[in-house]
Amino acid sequence: MEFGTMDIAAIRSGLAAKEFSAREVAEQSLARIDAVDGTVNAFLEVTPEAALAKADEVDAAIAAGAFDELGPLAGVPVAFKDNMNLAGTHTACASHMLENYVSPYTATCVQRAIDAGALPLGKLNMDEFAFGSTTESSAFGTTKNPWDTSRVPGGSSGGSAAAVAAGMATVTLGSDTGGSIRQPGSFCGVVAVKPTYGVVSRYGVVAFGSSLDQVGPFARSVHDAALALNAISGRDERDCTSQDVTIDFTRGLDAGVSGMKIGIVPEFMDAAGLTSEVKHAIEGAAEKLREMGAEIVEVELPHVRAAISAYYVIAPCEAFSNLSRFDSVRYGFCDPGHKSLAGQYEASRAKGFGPEARRRIMLGSYLLSAGVYDKYYYPAQQVRTLITQDYERAYETVDCILAPVAPQTAFAFGQISDPATMYATDLYTISINIAGNGGMSVPVGLGEDSQMPVGAQLIAPAFHDMNMLRVAAALEEAYGTARVAPDFADVKAGA
Amino acid sequence: MTEHVTEKDVRDIAEYCRIGLADSEIPQMTADLNAIIDELAPITEYDLTGVEPTFHPIGDLSNVMREDVEGQSFTQEEALSNAPAQQDGSFLIPSILGGGEA
Repeated sequence: MEFGTMDIAAIRSGLAAKEFSAREVAEQSLARIDAVDGTVNAFLEVTPEAALAKADEVDAAIAAGAFDELGPLAGVPVAFKDNMNLAGTHTACASHMLENYVSPYTATCVQRAIDAGALPLGKLNMDEFAFGSTTESSAFGTTKNPWDTSRVPGGSSGGSAAAVAAGMATVTLGSDTGGSIRQPGSFCGVVAVKPTYGVVSRYGVVAFGSSLDQVGPFARSVHDAALALNAISGRDERDCTSQDVTIDFTRGLDAGVSGMKIGIVPEFMDAAGLTSEVKHAIEGAAEKLREMGAEIVEVELPHVRAAISAYYVIAPCEAFSNLSRFDSVRYGFCDPGHKSLAGQYEASRAKGFGPEARRRIMLGSYLLSAGVYDKYYYPAQQVRTLITQDYERAYETVDCILAPVAPQTAFAFGQISDPATMYATDLYTISINIAGNGGMSVPVGLGEDSQMPVGAQLIAPAFHDMNMLRVAAALEEAYGTARVAPDFADVKAGA
Repeated sequence: MTEHVTEKDVRDIAEYCRIGLADSEIPQMTADLNAIIDELAPITEYDLTGVEPTFHPIGDLSNVMREDVEGQSFTQEEALSNAPAQQDGSFLIPSILGGGEA
């Protein structure tokens, strides 16, 4: 059996009926990674010992008749973005800076997944320090899109999306600062959820933009993503921004959209750069929702135009601050042989960080400097107020907003190389991080021109993530559950 | 493209960030930063008089206090486990007093 291509319910019922053991799930998942990942390159590190040890624990509980006490992810093959600490693994953020770093501790989101019974398969590729939208800036080679290996998987959580799309894991975790969960989810045709800021603890996840970062799951079904969210969400005393949410994210998932009001934003749908195939796909999704009984309403977000510039002020400033911790002394890359500490700092940070990381650090430093701060940083935080108010006003009339995730489907490697052009592709995802709302991508078929997956973005008011999950479940009903990418659907590996 | 930063500015920023850019990298970094800063223009075009800033999406953040009781933390060995250089239970760095590179 190909467990990585199964959903949580199928694994759970198979384990309960003793059709297979958790150990078989782990062994077969590892064999599939062996067979498939040479092509996809989603994994930076595979952790067979940890997966098998956890599987034996799950099997022991089943043998002892304690199946019902196992968590919602019991025996589920799961993998984690490389910016999440798991004790004893490398947590490199796909950077030479942390190439040899071995985590002495475990992130809360990772620990909660494992406590819920997940079998940890390993760590997943990403853009270096999550700076990027293609996974091309990984210091360890890019990940390929399983739907077409000549195209990018999106980013920064490209490995997390590709692993699920290629059937190497049932659930993966990623992080989203400006679209880094939703955009690769769209490009790889899987369900990808960035919950409201504060739903999941960020403790142990290497910080990029601390007021924007949020952890969330990838899966091939909305229900699986909701189960994963149940496992990882909630208050953590080690992250003061984590909130005491005791939401069952699977509740009401199948309630349908009849009577719901769903917003469409003209500023998004008429934006320059939106490809016709993505526009058509989103319009088609709106039509399907209307047929299912939802009311589609136009809503205005008048300040959303400024979101990209606000983001590219706030995020680099926070990154500049967060990345100052890499000092070549306590951990991280050190260029040896310098006679002065300053010389060691400068050489280590120049060689340890890749070009995009260096650019963002430099940009953040400039934007926070005297005089410049008042021109960009403070106004960016004022614009954040306006964008947040725009969304609050929209939510007075709608329960959820439907939008594109990205202006285009997955593009070819190297197609966009200019940083400013690349940043502009984040138009649809960024304002949600600025406002702190929840947003997610759900597959709505293939683009008519590219024949690559298109994701519809659903955006919900803060801490009403259920709204978007419910609409996503309705779209899933209409379009079918996300598939393993065709080239990998029939790959058989192991026993 | 407007020149927001000069090559001299970029050298100063690099020094402040402790990133040792080679001379050959300065022109490209200068061009990249100017292009990106150009794109930030919309931020400067709004009338923001009287608009309060939002520095964080969770507005009512407060310090979290706990009882001052001993908890689990890293051992010295764990804290040093990723150090590029260590000696006698401490992080080892180049001398910071005198004898340095210019």
